[in-house]
Order: sequence, then C-alpha cells, then structure tokens
Amino acid sequence: MTLDGRSAVTSLVSPRRAGGIHTELKLEDETFLTDDFLRQLINVGEVDILVGLPTHNNAKTIRSIVQTIQSGILQAFPRERAVIINADGGSRDGTPELVTGISIDDVRPTSNLYALRTLHSISTKYGSTPATGVALRTILAAADLLRAKACIVMFPESATIESEWVSKLVRPIYRDGFDLVTPTYRRHKSEGLLLTNLLYPMIRALYGVRIREPYTAEFGFSGRLGSHFLNQNGWNDGTSGAGVELRFTLAAITGGYRICQSFLGEKERVERRGADLVPALRQTVGPLFSALESDFPVWSLVTGSQPVPTTGNGPEVLLEPMRVNRKRLREMFSNGVAELNSVFQLILSPSTLAELQRIAPLGEDEFRYPAELWVRTVYEFAASFQKSVISRDHTIQALAPLFRGRALTFLIENRNASAKEVEDNIEGLCLEFERLKPYLLQMWKSRE
Amino acid sequence: MPVNTDALWYKDAIIYQVHVRTFHDSNGDGIGDFQGLEQKLDYLHELGVSAIWLMPFFPSPLRDDGYDIADYNAVHSSYGTLEDFHKFLDSAHQRGIRVIIELVLNHTSDQHPWFQEAQSSQNNPRRDWYVWSDTEIRYQAARIIFLDTEKSNWAWDPISKSFYWHRFFSHQPDLNYDNPAVREQMWNVMKFWLEMGVDGFRLDAVPYLVEREGTNCENLPETHHILKELRRKADEQFPGRMLLAEANQWPADLRPYFGDGDEFHMAFHFPLMPRMFMGLKLEDRKPITEILHQTPEIPPSCQWSLFLRNHDELTLEMVTDIERDYMYDMYAESKMMRLNLGIRRRLAPLLNNDRRRIELMNGMLMSLPGTPIIYYGDEIGMGDNISLGDRNGVRTPMQWSGGWNSGFSVAEPERLCAPLIQDPVYGYPAVNVLSQKESEHSLLHWMQRIIAIRRSTGAFSRGSIDFLYPANHRILAYLRQLGRETVLVVNNLSSTAQAVELDLRPYKGNILIEMFGNNIFPRVGDLPYLLTLGPYQFFWFRLRRV
Repeated sequence: MTLDGRSAVTSLVSPRRAGGIHTELKLEDETFLTDDFLRQLINVGEVDILVGLPTHNNAKTIRSIVQTIQSGILQAFPRERAVIINADGGSRDGTPELVTGISIDDVRPTSNLYALRTLHSISTKYGSTPATGVALRTILAAADLLRAKACIVMFPESATIESEWVSKLVRPIYRDGFDLVTPTYRRHKSEGLLLTNLLYPMIRALYGVRIREPYTAEFGFSGRLGSHFLNQNGWNDGTSGAGVELRFTLAAITGGYRICQSFLGEKERVERRGADLVPALRQTVGPLFSALESDFPVWSLVTGSQPVPTTGNGPEVLLEPMRVNRKRLREMFSNGVAELNSVFQLILSPSTLAELQRIAPLGEDEFRYPAELWVRTVYEFAASFQKSVISRDHTIQALAPLFRGRALTFLIENRNASAKEVEDNIEGLCLEFERLKPYLLQMWKSRE
Repeated sequence: MPVNTDALWYKDAIIYQVHVRTFHDSNGDGIGDFQGLEQKLDYLHELGVSAIWLMPFFPSPLRDDGYDIADYNAVHSSYGTLEDFHKFLDSAHQRGIRVIIELVLNHTSDQHPWFQEAQSSQNNPRRDWYVWSDTEIRYQAARIIFLDTEKSNWAWDPISKSFYWHRFFSHQPDLNYDNPAVREQMWNVMKFWLEMGVDGFRLDAVPYLVEREGTNCENLPETHHILKELRRKADEQFPGRMLLAEANQWPADLRPYFGDGDEFHMAFHFPLMPRMFMGLKLEDRKPITEILHQTPEIPPSCQWSLFLRNHDELTLEMVTDIERDYMYDMYAESKMMRLNLGIRRRLAPLLNNDRRRIELMNGMLMSLPGTPIIYYGDEIGMGDNISLGDRNGVRTPMQWSGGWNSGFSVAEPERLCAPLIQDPVYGYPAVNVLSQKESEHSLLHWMQRIIAIRRSTGAFSRGSIDFLYPANHRILAYLRQLGRETVLVVNNLSSTAQAVELDLRPYKGNILIEMFGNNIFPRVGDLPYLLTLGPYQFFWFRLRRV
C-alpha cells in the first residue's frame, strides 16, 4: 500500500467530496423535485425505511451495492415497507437505469432471501452535475413526503458496503428511538487525519458530544430529524449544500436529538485518487466554522464532553505499514508558513505565529507541531473566520499548509504506536481541545 | 370430447358452504337438520347462491365434526332421514340450486363396521381394507398433519395387536386403496348419492389415498390413477356431475389433479387464500400476483375454487416460514387463535369487523379467476368463539334473528349443538339475518348485490385474466375478458387513499362503466388512465366501445 503525503492527510475526504463540488447550481425551493419523481413517490407511498443513494457515474459498482442494500433490508426488515431512492447527479454511464433495473429476484436465488413486499428502487436526476447537498436535500424531501420512519444514506464510493450495515444503521432508529446514527469504522491509523486531528476533537470540545465520524459517507437518521433539517435555512446559500453531512450532524446535536454510533467494520474506498486538501477543508472545516456563529448559544454553554451510546465495537485502528511522503508534507508546511506570512499575521496571534515560524525550518527529526499549538492555531482560525478579517474562503485555504504540518506530526508520533497508543494520542488531542476551549470563548467574546 | 356448455355449470356457480348441524333446527332438538335447511332455501336463493356444499352429514361418532364417517349410505339421525335429504335436494333443484355433498374417501371412523371387522381378526376378509403394520417405521417420510394432537401417523390397535395407518386423527383409519374391493366399494358409495341426484362431490383429503415407501405419501401417481377411474365412471354414468378436490398443495402440485380434464373438475386454490389476507395486511399486491403467477394453466373444462374462509382453520401450510410468522403476528395475536398450521377464525373478526376490508376481500373473491365459495354466516359478518376447542369456534349456529337462540332453534339453550355467539360485537342480537334484511346498507344486502353483479357477466366466471402492474404496488388491477366482454377490476389494498395510473392503451376509445352504479367514467386515451381510490375501495368497470 502506498500513500503520498497529500492523500494521507485528505484521505478522510473522498474523491466525491474533493472533486464533486459545484457552487454554481441553484435550487428553487418549490420545484426541486421533478414531476416524474413525484409520480414515483406517489407509487411508493408511505414507507418505514428509506435508503438514499446519491450517485454520479457509479455504473461499475452500483449493481452490487444495490443488491447488498436489498439483501440488508430483506435480512433485517423483511416486513417493513422500504424503498431505495437514487439521487443522481447527471451520470452518463447509465447508473440510474441500473439502480431501477435491479430486481430483488436477482438477489434471491443466491441468498435464499424472501421478500414479503414490493421493494421499490426509484431514481431521479437532480441536475447535470453532482452536488452532495442537492442529492441529500432530494433524499430528505422524499423521506419527508413518504413519512419514512428510518432513513439511511449510503454513498456508493465504499467498496466494502456490507448488507449488515443496513441493519446497523437502521435498527437504532427504528427499534431504539435514536435520531442519528453515525458510523465507526476499522481504519488505518493514517486514514482520516482531518477527522482525528480537527473535526472530531473540535466538535467534541465545542458541542460536548463525542461523535467519532461527524462527517461520513454512511449514516442513518429518523424521519423527524430529516424533516427538521430539511426545513432549516441554508439550502440556497449558493454552495449546493457543501458540507451538508457535517451540518446535518451539528443540527442533530443542537436540536437535542438522540444520537448514537454503530460500528460498521472496515472501510475501504473504491479507488484512491489523490484528493485535494483545500476542497476537503471547504466542505468540512468551512461549515464547522460557519456553524459556530449560529450555534454560539449552544456551544458556549457546554463544558466537557459526553460519549454517545455505541453499538458494536468502538473505532478500531489498523497498523500495517504504509508509505507516507513525509518530506513532501514538511516542505508544504514550511513553504506555506513562509509564503502566507502576511495572511497569518491577520489570522493568528503573534505568539502562535512566532511559534510556527520557529518550527517551520526544523528537519524531520526535530519537527513537531505540538497539540497545544495546533489547538490554538485552529481556534484562532475559527475566531478569525468569524471576524472575516480576510475572505472566509482564504482563511480556510490558509489552514491547509498548517494542517499538513500537524498531520506530519501525528504520523511521526504514531509511527510505531500500537492501536491503543494511537487512540490515546487522539484522546490527548481531544482533551487539549477541551482544555483550551475557554481561549476560543475569550477570543469570541472579545470580538463582540 | 366436446364439452357440453351445461356441463360447466360449476364455473358459473356461487357456492355456499353450510353445515346442516348448525344452520337451522326444524324439530327443536337443538341440532340443525335437513328440514331446517330446506326451510332456508329461499334465503339462499335470494342471496344469489347457485350451489350448496354440504359438510358431512353421515352417521358418525362426530369426533371430527362428521369427517369420521361410520356409514356412507345414510343420514345422521340428528339431521333427519334419507327421505328428508331427498326432499331437500328436490327443493333445492326446484330453485335452481345445485347440491354438492362431502365425501371423505381417504378414511373412515374407527366406528365404521368395516374397520371393526378389519380389526376383529387378522384373517377377516375386510382386514386388508385398511393399512396395517407390525411396526411404526413404515412411511416415515410422510408428514404429520394434525401436529397439535398426533405424534405419529401410526396408531396401535390393541385388538389385533398391530399398527394401523392414519393421516389425520388416530380415530380415522385410512382405507387401503391398493385393495380393488375398497375402490369398488367407494365407487358404489358415490353411485348411491349420484343416483339420488346430487350434483357433485367435494372429495376430502384426496392426496393421501395411496402410500408408498420412500415417498411422502402425497400426490402419488397411483392416487391420480384411482381418482381418474372414479371420474371416468362418473362421466360415463352421470354426465354433468362435478368433482371438487380438497388438496392443500402448492399450485404446481395441484395441477395434476385436473389431469387432462379427466380427473377433477375443480380444486381449491389453497395457497391463494392466505396471500389475499397477507396482501391486505401488507398493503401490497405482491403476495397475490406472485402466487397467481405461479399458478399453472388448467384445462378449459376445469376451474379453481376460491374461498376466504371455511370450516377449517385458515391454513398456513402453503406459505413460507416467514409468511407464516407474519400471518400469525398479524391475524392471530392470541395463541388461542392458532391451530395446527393455521388460524381458526372467521372472516369478520380476522378483518377487525372493518366493513371496507370485508367488502374488498369479497370483491376479490368474486372477481379473481375461479368459483367463489361463501362460508355460511360470512355474508352477515358472523363472529367466532375461540374459547371453543378445535375448529368449533367457527362452527357456531347460524344467526337468523335477535330472538330466542338467534332463530336457529326453539330448544332450550343448553341443548344447542354449539353455543351461540353472544359477545357485544358479533353476538346474534347485533349480527343476524333479520336485522340485516331490514337495513338497506347491510352487509347482507351488499353481498346480494355483488353476487348479482358477478353473475351478470361470464367474464368473471369463465374469462381470462391479465394483470396490470401499475407502479403503485398497493393497487391490484386486472382485466377479465370473455369474448368481446372485458371487465377491469381495480382494488386498493391500502388503508389510505391512492392514486394509480393504468396503462389501458390497448383499450383506447373505450369508456368505462362502473358496474355497481352503472356510471360512465372518462374514455380511455393515449395517456395513462388516472384513478383515485379511497381506502380499501375497489372498482369493477365494464369496458365498452361507443
């Protein structure tokens, strides 16, 4: 297995997200569901379980994915009314036709499964280009119209979707009354660094909820949470709902909805294209920073953090050797610190900037981007984002080289670490985020 | 041989299943009888019934409600005499109502003289009329049908000190059809009743006539051979009479009972019935269309026999395990409602006394391909009594009025053959023929109406069926067609209002005439035909080109 420095730090973020952002698409509130799709929804009628499947040119894998989902439904919920809804972003490889053409009878001979009911698979094209937010909005609108009790969304980028995932994501909602089910996975320690070094610890510290995967390609939600989110503002902000999954998680937290985690097993991607970090930050950190303003009344009152109920194992760490281009990561960090000095002067405090400038020229052996410095950096970026001292997008872009430095430190510190030690290091960073939260509050209040 | 049109009367029939014992008591002894039944023929005539199926009325110890026959050539004394039966038969024929009687070919009662002779000695000439064995290990592949009461298909006879074979209760020894004398004797039994004028037989438990080692002892070729022989004799000597098979089997296994039109005229479609209930509860046509899709073509002279409920439990033998579990959970929440592999409940309680669902189920019964059978009392929505044992809870006296003993009998209530239904919802003061006759919108009047409409066209009784598969799976739609006559049936299986678009382009230019109100609906054009249906609503449309 090989992984260069760039993809290592962004491997949390899938090709879908990295390459699939189109900000020019606008939605019209009243008419974003086509008549044809409405007709299909009428035929489906009220359902208990809805599986949303956003696609874009997934013809190679979609057949097995839909069959896996169908099997999962029949295995765990043979009596429930279920539908698979494909929201397609303009595939040119016949993906929608494949989705609707797959019959449960194709699954049955090999699986010995029996369908009591009609299991619908319907599809709609929401536009000519993929946009995660539009796809999710389409699915949410369908769930709302069909009064779905439990919904899951699965992006077909995962090569390892298992039929049991349906049950693991639906059952906590359908049987146990949870509103949001986020997954945990078995991942390599070098995977998902944006999650482990920023999103998870920061959301945990600010919102007080320990959700390991607040931004994921598979998640489940109740109909009432879906309706709540659908009716929130922000769909027409010109970003096609970029980062919508993260906003969804935050909406569940701030709305007081019941949240749990479910262990799904190993997570692999269909392919490992080099994903750009900046779009990934735009889709995750951007929405998070943005949400802090409206969510201030909530997070400003939170102290400490609480675990959420988890079914199955917690997150698991894989340790097999993986090649990472550390030299390139370090160069991108030190070059960034030098080239963006004038920008950092507007964003960072003098002491933080000085410390960054001190570590920038260090060789790999001496180089470390300590947890405390990293947390201060992130919080100062968040506060600066709010103040809009420069354009918000530039703020997010400027974070990229610094994150690479932090990712390099994480990789170095965990080079020979056991799974437990990796987890302990992540936990240590989380506690640092929690410990320094007053620092963010202080900056926030001084802004006012 | 060309088929005489009159010989196909059973295809157009509306059959009413009745138990003499519980229908009407004429002499005040608390037990229904043939004179009582005869007195109620006008009621059945008004209802629109064209054939009566009588449950066993022969002399019997009544340990299985008459399915344990002790004398095939007589009438149980409680029900009257042979003369009474003859008089009833004539009266029914005078009203154009045919009479089908039940005949249990497979076994007798252990009180039958044949069996008593057979067990009396190993050398008795009738010894070989039954199936004997020194051990219990023969025919081990045969399943046990009455799981709740029997542990083996063999029972020990202490008199002759050997085991005898029984597929049902141990007091019902199976006849040995490998013995030519048995076959001849059973034909003589049939001939006895055919000569008297009965129009057909419902032959009970026919798959089990012959046993062979290494098989499940069901549906064996030898059994079919025997049945074909009986049919041949009936056709030769009594043309126009009908044989109806009771064979609770999957459609593919049922098909051989029709032979090439030379075995049974009709057979019950057992697998369809539970799937109609399942489709209704699931609000999904899938179970119904799936089983009908699996149903093979039958010879032109043959016909399926359809029913919603009967004297037995709602059998769940011909469903998958997952379907059976679902049915139990949905329709028999109390364990007391379950018996063997089935649910011992009547139609109205099964459907929560929901008039819309009762009408929809009857609408499907009357419009799907086959001859409908109505179980006595279901036309007024009678209830059941699950506290009675076995299947007796659905065999309570007919509720004729709100008066003394529901008008069934003038006897003292303690002497009635079975307790009356007395609960507040289904009890005879609330549910009875008299009150429903006086109410224009009663279920009874509605049943009269739908039967009359069903009989107004041959498309239902003899027509082909073509399913439409609208994208809305809650809608079960089909076209019944006979010659130039086409009827469109649209059923909403859902508890909520539904919209459906039907592809009727082959019928472009036709107008739709709703058959209950004779109202005209818009002409069929190029676009999908849009209909909206209320909860559990159904439409029957006659298609007409004008």
